[in-house]
Amino acid sequence: MRDLLIPILVLSPMAGGALALILRGRAARSALVALSAAALVFAAVALASNGLMRYTPGPLTTIDWNRVVLAADVVLLGWFLALAWTRRHPGAFSLALLQAVGFAFLEIRYGERLRVTQGFVVDWLAIAMVLLVSILGSAIALYAIPYMDEHERHHPGVPSRQPRFFALILVFLGAMNGLALSNNLYWTYLFWEITTLCCVLLIAHDGTAEAVASSNRALWMNLVGGCAFLAAILMLAHAQPIGEAMAIDRLVGGPTPYLVPVALLCLAGFTKSAQLPFQGWLLGAMVAPTPVSALLHSSTMVKAGVYLVIRCAPAMQDTGLTNVVALAGAFTFVATAMVAISQRNAKRVLAYSTISNLGLIIACAGLNTAMAVSAAVMLLLFHAVSKALLFLAAGAIEQRIGSREIERMEGLVLRMPWTTALTVLGVLTMLLPPFGVLVSKWAALESAAREPAAMVLFVLGSAFTVLFWVRWIGRLMAVEPGREPEMTEQMPALFRWTMGSVAALAVLLSLLVTQVMQRFVAPVVASYLQVGSEGFRATVADLESRIGSFPVLGLALSLLIAVALAVILASGRRAPTVPYLCGEPPAEGAELAPLGPGDRPAPVRVSGTYLERFFAEERHAAWMTVGGVLLTAAMLGVAAL
Amino acid sequence: MSTPEIAIRLFAAVLLAPIAGMLLVGLDRRISARLQGRVGPPVTQPFYDLVKLLAKQGDTTSRFQTACLALYLASNVVSLAMVFLGQDLLVMLFVVAFGAVAYIVGGFSAKSPYSQLGTQREMLQLLTYEPLLIFLAVGIYLRTGSFLAADVLRLERPLLPELPVFALTLVVVYCIKLRKSPFDIAASAHHGHQEVVRGPLSEVAGPSLALVELAHWYELPLLLSIAALLWATPLWAGVLLGLACLLASIVVDNVAARLTWSWMLRFGWAVAVPASIANLLYLYATRGGGS
Repeated sequence: MRDLLIPILVLSPMAGGALALILRGRAARSALVALSAAALVFAAVALASNGLMRYTPGPLTTIDWNRVVLAADVVLLGWFLALAWTRRHPGAFSLALLQAVGFAFLEIRYGERLRVTQGFVVDWLAIAMVLLVSILGSAIALYAIPYMDEHERHHPGVPSRQPRFFALILVFLGAMNGLALSNNLYWTYLFWEITTLCCVLLIAHDGTAEAVASSNRALWMNLVGGCAFLAAILMLAHAQPIGEAMAIDRLVGGPTPYLVPVALLCLAGFTKSAQLPFQGWLLGAMVAPTPVSALLHSSTMVKAGVYLVIRCAPAMQDTGLTNVVALAGAFTFVATAMVAISQRNAKRVLAYSTISNLGLIIACAGLNTAMAVSAAVMLLLFHAVSKALLFLAAGAIEQRIGSREIERMEGLVLRMPWTTALTVLGVLTMLLPPFGVLVSKWAALESAAREPAAMVLFVLGSAFTVLFWVRWIGRLMAVEPGREPEMTEQMPALFRWTMGSVAALAVLLSLLVTQVMQRFVAPVVASYLQVGSEGFRATVADLESRIGSFPVLGLALSLLIAVALAVILASGRRAPTVPYLCGEPPAEGAELAPLGPGDRPAPVRVSGTYLERFFAEERHAAWMTVGGVLLTAAMLGVAAL
Repeated sequence: MSTPEIAIRLFAAVLLAPIAGMLLVGLDRRISARLQGRVGPPVTQPFYDLVKLLAKQGDTTSRFQTACLALYLASNVVSLAMVFLGQDLLVMLFVVAFGAVAYIVGGFSAKSPYSQLGTQREMLQLLTYEPLLIFLAVGIYLRTGSFLAADVLRLERPLLPELPVFALTLVVVYCIKLRKSPFDIAASAHHGHQEVVRGPLSEVAGPSLALVELAHWYELPLLLSIAALLWATPLWAGVLLGLACLLASIVVDNVAARLTWSWMLRFGWAVAVPASIANLLYLYATRGGGS
């Protein structure tokens, strides 16, 4: 049974996806999605309860798996070439061609060096990632069933493009699991490129000019990452002896002499995680149907990038490279949080917030102490859950009100009380103590306290973050005094269940933060302890380090008592009232329109503040890109020296 | 810390500190009155005000905003208790931010022009003072080697000589938190009238408003104890330092005119933040005092 877990996690969703292409009926497709989801969740939980293990698949009847991977890679690279050709995108085409040539060279010259003795190594970081992909990914795939029905009513396609959509989603999940578990860099590369392809095709789902343009951008930017990945493989294959050249556990088990390949892998991670200067593709990706965004932002795609960087961290301990990685991440963190303030589109705010948080994760991986890497892993987990919830809620809102504009969501609590409540909960779990993301940010700040540049950037970025979150919930909750929502709202059952369970997961996981630390995070940083770098200790009530302590239980209890008190204090009778307008009576029927000159209503318009004067994208785009390019170049330069 | 000691400290934070806070609010009004050539109310006036507000009709205009204000009060109580219990300063500041967020969301939930405008300014105030406070905590860490307030009390010499800038930024924080000129942008504490009326509190009355008043009684001791960290041995000197910051903010309040939010933002991010960073860089450069 144990040996079946990894094939189930990687191959069963892919098989489900292939079947969804063949069985085109809605019922069959929904059943396939549900079955794959059940298999994924079951196998992921089983993998977690099984703990550490190693697994190498035997040959498929008589065919060696490396042959299968080779065939898949050839198909994939051919697909990239064809895609770039039909879309007439010379940049993407040249990058795909470069990869094809590089890949052919790799196979011909170093073909025999591409196998390893341990195909899959399951450690706690991989388990955490598999749990994220399998549980959140499944929830999002289920949510997509009713979502895509509604979506197709607005964007009719003949024939329906839904089979292709769900096939891609399921293949995506399988590839993510493969990427998390594989110990062979050569196989990881295949999974890496599959996620790129799925992502690119899903972004283009609606087929509009905007969708295709965004898809093209995602294509060429991620192909840059693919090239970097392949270059790293080539260098390792060239430099290392036969047998273990591709073994990831060998490469990143501790400080390595192969710093340039590690820097190239970090660069690949930067492209996947949309770090500056590659932020463009993730911002463009929001033209896709919202379940795709939910998937890209929470458990798949962008998380693959930071996962790779965290994996590489032990290999670059005490090098100049790790400092540059930290600086690049911190730079992205603060710059994108700042620009997010000026965004009026909710999905764009979410996208910038994702890029910003990924920057923080990368910065922590770059700080490369036990505390910092703990913070990175915690942030990876908690951010995924909260962000999934926020995107699911944003999708439900978009389908109801037909807009993504924050201003159009003003007073939404009256129209969609449950979805609004879940959105607000999602934001609070991103922003406030005692929830997990904030605990991670605390850990990040304390671990950065000895590093002036990272510390200053962390503090400033955190200040910006508060602003854009608070403004959004402020708009959602803005209602005329005296009006209150009836707590009824129609929505598809699957929306209710998936959003409800992700929300429950977000809260539950936060309450169990000390358990999460002990179970998943502490083992990841165990190797750091040998070099004298201390991490966090989890007691029943607190998360402690040598320099501070987070009273998780105390704050959670305080919050519970405070909320109970708030509910009691606020349960009084409501006073019938009209908003204060300097004593002017409101005009008949219009709450915010006092009688002006000539006894005519003079409407008052209120709206959110976006501070475009300070934070508009155009004002900052140039230096953000330049800074990103310089830091990325510095990363490679420092590694090469 | 033994259980009785924890109980005593909690008692002090939850019950004694707000009484001191109430007297300080009264003193503030008295001093301001004298500066303006008036006699001013008795120092216990805030207490009577609170009783009066509590005795008013129990109806609320927005139950959601009342709930938010209750959370704001709770966060002030919890953060003060955390300082008294010697807890982590960064976590304490996050709890303070929790209260600020609750206050702001409450203000936004009332869709009246004054409440909206005032709350937007409140949000920008948060953006201005939040980094200053966190920098202060980092500064303390750089000299004590710990973020725990308890470890500050074990120091043998005061921190202020090495962290002078933070006493000044604290005056800025006091002015913003206590809604004093030139930073009384969202809602003024004492001046009867301004263009956004009472800002986030425009739609709040009666017992709901009492929650805010009560929260201020906790806020003052909280701000004083943050200042006291800079001169923790002997502690009375730190309290005097806090009182000096408070007095400075009252004087500034009465001699300065209210300025615009964009001026505040520029001042905060172009003067106070760089000054804090400069002080921190000095601490990094002369490392060795702490661990």
